[in-house]
Amino acid sequence: MTERVTLKIPRPLYLRLREVIQDTGFRSVNEFVVHVLRDLVSELGEPPTTLTPKEIEAIRTRLRKLGYL
Amino acid sequence: MKKVAVIGLDCADPDLLEEFLPRLPTLGELVRGGSFSRLRSVDPPITVPAWMCMFTGKDPGELGVYGFRNRTDHSYGGLGVATSARFSAPAVWDELGRRGLRSILLGIPGTYPPKPVRGLLVSGFLAPGPEADYTYPASLKEKIAAWVGDYILDVRNFRTEDKAWLVEEVRRMTEQRFALARRLVTEEDWDLFAMVEMGPDRIHHGLWAHHDPGHPKHDPESPFRDTILDYYRFLDRKLGELLSDLPGGTQVLVVSDHGAQRMEGGIGINEWLIREGYLVLKGYPEEPTRLGDLVKAGLVDWSRTVAWGEGGYYGRLFLNVKGREPQGVVPPERYQELRAELAERLAAIPDENGQPIGTRVLRPEELYREVNGIPPDLIVYFGDLSWRSIGTIGWDRIHFHENDTGPDDANHAPHGIFIAYPKLDNRGERSILEVHDLILSLVGGE
Repeated sequence: MTERVTLKIPRPLYLRLREVIQDTGFRSVNEFVVHVLRDLVSELGEPPTTLTPKEIEAIRTRLRKLGYL
Repeated sequence: MKKVAVIGLDCADPDLLEEFLPRLPTLGELVRGGSFSRLRSVDPPITVPAWMCMFTGKDPGELGVYGFRNRTDHSYGGLGVATSARFSAPAVWDELGRRGLRSILLGIPGTYPPKPVRGLLVSGFLAPGPEADYTYPASLKEKIAAWVGDYILDVRNFRTEDKAWLVEEVRRMTEQRFALARRLVTEEDWDLFAMVEMGPDRIHHGLWAHHDPGHPKHDPESPFRDTILDYYRFLDRKLGELLSDLPGGTQVLVVSDHGAQRMEGGIGINEWLIREGYLVLKGYPEEPTRLGDLVKAGLVDWSRTVAWGEGGYYGRLFLNVKGREPQGVVPPERYQELRAELAERLAAIPDENGQPIGTRVLRPEELYREVNGIPPDLIVYFGDLSWRSIGTIGWDRIHFHENDTGPDDANHAPHGIFIAYPKLDNRGERSILEVHDLILSLVGGE
């Protein structure tokens, strides 16, 4: 099993999350928070450092049309 | 500690603003009741990197970003587009975020792809298109669609002779950006709100000749003579609406990244280098061709080339240095001497009638506090930026009165605007690099 670390969150938030997961498939706030965070990170996708060649070409064409190049 | 709203108007020019001010009630009130200064931009005074210089307090040399595109290595393979990843210095919103303060950022050039921010971010016009994920968080995009419909990152094609269409498109974009701004400032939490509207820049480039009697292409009978003024009046109304939505006590800053001036024409930097023997081709193209395409086709004789240039609102010159470029020919010990020779000769290029045009040639190490990344060897302001740099080859001439990439009437000028309301200390001139510290001190929160 992957090593785990402890995160601290404010108690009122914890209590609110416990309400949110009542009668859901999540067995604990911990499980729910890990799920939400994983989801969020995957939505962020690749670190925002790279553009696809197609994107770069689109930007270049636009810059040229705009007169910057 | 107070809320700060920074309203950026790309290319808003101080002289033009003063001329129009009696007809602009909102800006008039801000100037009369607040402070108004000329804001000295960075060199080069270009949208990228100027806005990010403003928001990081770092000059282009410190950021290592010298324009929209930069050399990423010493090959001849052309220049890389400067994305948000190139701006590694913390911006004012990063510093506020660390203090627990929230920022809303709308349309700031240099923020695509979006990096996480404590708050909300809508990238600037360099996002490839509305289908890209141009917001942080990504879900903000759906909210924007619900608020204002299909989001307009930029005017689709501003190099057009159809001026009526252009004006309509720019207005539509400005209208929508301010509508979105009003939603964001009223429905979301923020300590700093910062936006940039590109409309003034697009209008200046597209219509300056119609406005400016001194422009070589000016027609006093033009139906578009008052179009720039009309746009500023429209912008003034939009600004007024947005300001009325800001909470009481908000410190407002209205700023621009550079100004505008008429474009007299263009100088073919590579054509000149070829004519003077600094740039040697294996075959001269039959039709106008970009240097990058000649490089790819293997048509540049690097073994005999001393220097090559790049086009744009300003010129950039690169020397082909032995041990630095793959097929460098300039011995390092002759670098300074050759660079000085080129600087002097570029500065002396006259107009087609032999009259001087006042070109300035700058050296990166004299401009910046640090020089990071790979700067151009020389930065060239033809006619002190009243002539643009034409990079394409195949024209068989050096002087241009039409741009090589479509109609364009204006070039950039080194001073933008700075308005603070309520009043801050009155100064005739400020530096764009001061704005970062000013915002931090105004928002406070430490």
